Amino acid sequence: MKKLATFALMTVLATSAFAHSPVDHTTPENGATITEVPPEISFNFANDIRLTRVDMLHQDHPSVRLDLRDQTSFDRVFTLPLEGMGKGTYRIEWRGLGSDGHAMQGEFSFTVE
Amino acid sequence: MPDIWGIAAIFAKLTLYFGVVGSTGLVIILATFPNLVLPLCRRIKAKAVVLAGLSIFAAMFGFMLRGAALTGDADGMTDPEMLGLLWQTPVGDVLVYRIAGMAILIAGMFIPRFGRWVSLAGGTIALWSFAKIGHVPDLQQTGVRLLLLLHLLGIAFWIGILGPLRNLSRLPEHLDDAALLGHRFGQAAAVIVPVLILAGLLMAWLLLGDLRALLSTGYGQTLLIKLVLVGAILILAAANKLRFVPAMQAGDSKAAQHLARSIEIETAVILVVLAATATLTSVQTLPN
Repeated sequence: MKKLATFALMTVLATSAFAHSPVDHTTPENGATITEVPPEISFNFANDIRLTRVDMLHQDHPSVRLDLRDQTSFDRVFTLPLEGMGKGTYRIEWRGLGSDGHAMQGEFSFTVE
Repeated sequence: MPDIWGIAAIFAKLTLYFGVVGSTGLVIILATFPNLVLPLCRRIKAKAVVLAGLSIFAAMFGFMLRGAALTGDADGMTDPEMLGLLWQTPVGDVLVYRIAGMAILIAGMFIPRFGRWVSLAGGTIALWSFAKIGHVPDLQQTGVRLLLLLHLLGIAFWIGILGPLRNLSRLPEHLDDAALLGHRFGQAAAVIVPVLILAGLLMAWLLLGDLRALLSTGYGQTLLIKLVLVGAILILAAANKLRFVPAMQAGDSKAAQHLARSIEIETAVILVVLAATATLTSVQTLPN
């Protein structure tokens, strides 16, 4: 019985696609290859959201937490300044709260050549 | 797979479901069959209080976990800014409903005579919180919210009978009471269970909109697992109603042992159903 319950529980968990990331589009776009490090990145969401954490990960550097002190309201469009770290792949991981109370998260990446 | 906060949220919600539905269910049984469960009255009240206390803890822990989901680390659980943000959203409202409802349920258990009705009101307030936030309330139809409340009350009644019926079946001197309780519950279930299933299927159809989504999406697949398990519970329940309870009414004490064992298995499967539900409501997105 325990085995059956554990198996069922694991199956339930394994089918979970992580939820609630209605990001419409980002700048730079996910997977884009560009020639210069952009001075800022932007997010467009389908619904109002409050960004609560944004991390930038670059292949050669430790992850950097972007400053969100100016982001104090629910909005659909966010623009954050970006500190360039040279060529390579940048991954942006974000978390936020929807106005309906849903926690959201997602990520996108782009490459500077 | 969801991240660590997603998995922790599922377990907190599972505990919350078990606590709220279980305690409210016990109160419903106390109110519906007061004479039949008289030998277990004190035990049932104590269990209801413990389960309600557990659900208050789970509601608060779940709220803090949402804070952690916002920052991605444990600091978010106690971050006043994150918790303050959450408090302004419907998540804060339902926390109040759950804590207040369960506190009223606990208080009612210490009030003589009318206390069980106070407790029932408390349990209903806490159950109503599930109709305030989530995928079903997102449909924004009052009728569907009431349908969900009805679904939850039906489940509470069902889960509520399991403990008392099992414990009564284990007391040879109360074989007659156990048989009668099983029989009465079976009669009520013949009406409640079809309504429960219809309400569940109607809500599933409203949420999915398309049968194909049942196979092609994570949400649909989890729902399918839930439905298969509910089917298994129905088979067990049918065996209890058609085989063991009539045998107990005929004075067969061995049947009472079988019933108790069957209820234990049923409880284990119900826990997995609640876990599937917690996954559906915590980390799964609707297909559309």
